[in-house]
Formats: sequence, structure tokens, C-alpha cells
Amino acid sequence: MSPFWSGWIMFLIVLNLGITLFLFLWGPRVKIPTLPDGTTGHVWAHGVLREGMNRLPLWWIVMSGAMFVIGFTYLYLYPGFGSSKGSLGWTSHQQLADDIAANRAKLDPVLTGFAGKPVDVLAADSTATRMGERLFVDNCAACHGREAHGNRVIGAPNLVDATWIYGGDGDTLLTSILDGRHGVMPPFSSSLDKAAIENLANYVLSLSGRDHSPAKARLGADNFAVCAACHGPTGTGNPALGAPNLTTADELYGRDLATIEQTIRNGRSGVMPAWRTRLTDTDARLIAAWVYARSHANAAH
Amino acid sequence: MAGGYRGYKYFEAIEKHAGLLGILTAIMVSIGGLAEITPIFMAAHEVKPALGVKPYDALRLAGKDIYVREGCYLCHSQMIRALRAETERYGPFSTAEESVYDRPHQWGSKRTGPDLARVGGKYSDEWQRQHLRDPRSVVPESNMPSYPWLAQALVDGDDIAARMRTLRFLGDPYTDADIAGAKAAVSGQTELDAVVAYLQGLGIANEPANAKPQQAAP
Repeated sequence: MSPFWSGWIMFLIVLNLGITLFLFLWGPRVKIPTLPDGTTGHVWAHGVLREGMNRLPLWWIVMSGAMFVIGFTYLYLYPGFGSSKGSLGWTSHQQLADDIAANRAKLDPVLTGFAGKPVDVLAADSTATRMGERLFVDNCAACHGREAHGNRVIGAPNLVDATWIYGGDGDTLLTSILDGRHGVMPPFSSSLDKAAIENLANYVLSLSGRDHSPAKARLGADNFAVCAACHGPTGTGNPALGAPNLTTADELYGRDLATIEQTIRNGRSGVMPAWRTRLTDTDARLIAAWVYARSHANAAH
Repeated sequence: MAGGYRGYKYFEAIEKHAGLLGILTAIMVSIGGLAEITPIFMAAHEVKPALGVKPYDALRLAGKDIYVREGCYLCHSQMIRALRAETERYGPFSTAEESVYDRPHQWGSKRTGPDLARVGGKYSDEWQRQHLRDPRSVVPESNMPSYPWLAQALVDGDDIAARMRTLRFLGDPYTDADIAGAKAAVSGQTELDAVVAYLQGLGIANEPANAKPQQAAP
């Protein structure tokens, strides 16, 4: 702060506190002229209302005095009087650093025990999974849902069923969280006409044994060769590419005819953001551990 | 009149003249504002953009103006305060030099929804689209309104170019090429695209070095 603006603030504080302090000290003492009836002679409504004289109540004087004491003490201890830093040297940044350090002192003893541990080991630790669930709800639930059941509207996968797109082992989960994922399916509207897309979609439905037209599926089977590059010749998917298994009941965007036609026609681009800058490695491990525990508990049923 | 009453006559003069009372009251009331607002207001033009903070490109600028038009700031702040609860939830605290190209700034004073200062990249583009079209389809307990009309309207390229010229007049370092390319940059883009581009750029690569949080646990 420049000396001018520091002086400006000091001047205004002195002016303000000076005037109010003067009034506070002088007001209760000044002698006010009164008429013999004890009023000031100020009248309203043709003398119906007259202004009387009372001493200021003690509580008012005490509270006002306390405010001056608090004000002066504050300006002495904390920054506020121009460029004065205050006798405590308090800053909001230092306060934040202290608060973080105090919190770390409580958290670190717990977290250091989890650092670097394999996800499947953490999944067996109830403290780790409880912390993981908390972190999941704060960070992941917006897409995957509070119960990690996924959201077909945006193609966020269900994380508690037994099917995985990229893999459900600890290291793969950790990679998915820290580095994110981007699953791309190209659009086929320019290479396949409407009927061909409908036939192909029926064939895809047949892979998972859903309601479909066998005649159309037979016609669509030939075109599946182009899908096989990613989804495999039998449609079992490819975790390395993030190409979903089409033979399971798992649903990413939905497994009705219209949705599958739409997927083939327009393609899909499913993005999971990378969390490396927002979560620590240990945070990510705890989240992965909770997801791992949930999905394995479900798989065991 | 006795001597003790002499000082009182000034009091009486103030009490009996409403105009004088008004002027003196205004002076006393304005002291706080003069002390707190004027120095920062006068120093505002000296704030330099943080490293990595650039003027909004055409599409994000359009998105920012739609953000203001729709009143997003009424529920969402863009200022993370230097408090642990905030830095843990939203990331490093905000600084003035991050907002130099925000006219008007979007710091806000009230949160019904979360702070958005560093929301860029937190969710996928598709999530942002879906969330603006129908918030409850992704966050069931959300009370944010739906903004379905954003997907129906196209961004006006000429309007954005004019806005960029105005901002350059106010000091933002747009080049002639930026302004000439504005219309092409937003051509065919909907207002939804613009808002998503704006949101996805918030807080990206403009964290001041001194605001980085200490890394929590290894």
C-alpha cells in the first residue's frame, strides 16, 4: 500500500473515531438548556408533543465504551490502521496455512498408514473404505451417482456391478481415477444407411440375448466386421481400448434398440476427467478401495 | 445564555436544520466506504494478469456473457476464500489477478450452488451439457433450474466481435486477428457450447504460485 493511501485510511479512521469519541465523552456531560417544566422547549403538533430530558441509560454508555475499547484493541492487534500490520502479525494466508497444518496433524497419522498400499489390501480395511466412500460422494457421485450405479444419460458406468470397461483390478481403477479415461466410438452415419444401422443394432441386441428381430440381426451380422476391430469378433469388448463388452447385460448408455441405433449413428465420446490435480494419490487409493470393495461384494452374491 | 450552553448551540443548529443534518450524516456514513473502497478501487488498474491468464477467446467470451445474462452469479460465486473448508473443497484460493479480464467480475456474494472458480475440467463436457439441460438427470437432489433454451440459440458472431472491440478499447490485449477470427470461431456454435466452453476454462492454468495448497499426505 502506498504511503498516500495508508495516510488516507489513517486520516479517515482518526477522523471517524475522533468525532465519535468526542461525542461519546462530551454528549453525556454537556449542559442542555431546559425550561422550568424540564423539557427542552422543542415542541411538535402545537405543543402536544414536547421533548423531555433524560440521562443516557448506563447500559448504552457501557456498551458504547466497550465498542471503542474493542475498536482500538483490534486496530492495535490486527492489520487495519493504514499499512500497519498489527502487533500480532496476523495474515489470512498464515491463518490458512496454520489451519491446514492443524488438520494435517490429525489426518496424517491415519493417511500415512494407507499411502502406497495396494487397492485390494485397502479394500479390506473398513476405515479406508469409509474414508473412500466420503471422498467418492464428494468427488465422483456427480457422474456415477451416490451409490455408484452409474448414469446412462451421460454414459457414466455402473461401478458396483461385475462388468468393467477398462478393468476392475486395483491398479486399473487407480489409473482410471488419476489419469481419467476417454472412450471414443466413431459415428457410422456416413458409412451405413438407416436400414443397415437398424439391422446392425438388432445384431448387437442378439449378442446379449435381448429382444430383437432375428431376421434383421442376420442381415446386420455382416456389418459387425467393422465393429469387431474394437469390440472383438464375438463382441466381448477390449479393455485396452475401452470398448465395452456387448455380450453382457451391463448398460453404459442403454441397451434398447433406439439407443444402440443412436450410438452407431452418432458415435460416442465418454470422458472421465483426470483427478491427479484434485486428489492426492492416497485419496485416489481410498476411493478405488471403496469401489473395489463394493464391486467385489456384489460379484460374490 | 449561560456559558455551559455555548457548545450546545451547534448541536441545536444541526438538529433543527434537516439539510445540514443530512449532509453531516452522509459524511460520517461515507467514511467507512472511503477508507475501505477508494484505495483498492484506485489500485485496481495496477493489478496484472496472473501467469497463464489470457483474455477470453471468442467462444468463452460468448459463454461468459450468457453466464451473466442468465444470472448464474446469483447462485454461484467465483471466489474461493482463504479458508481451509473452501480450499479443500474447491482448490487454491482465488486472487485478484485471476479476474482481470472479467468485466464485470463474477466473484459473487452468495452461494446456493457451489463456487465455480476452478470448476474447469472437473466434469466432462457431456456432463456439463446434460447438467445445464436437466440438472436433476445427473444430480438428483439439485435445485438448479434447467436451461434448455441454451441449446436452441446460436451465438451471434458479429456481436462477439463488437464485444471484443469494446474490451480492447478498455485495455484487454485482443489482436486484430482475434477480432477478425471471432465470427468464424463461434460460427454454428450454440449458446450451450459457449457456456460449456466458458465453464471448462474456469480456473485452468491460472493458479497463482503462492496459492498452491500444500500437498496432502503422500
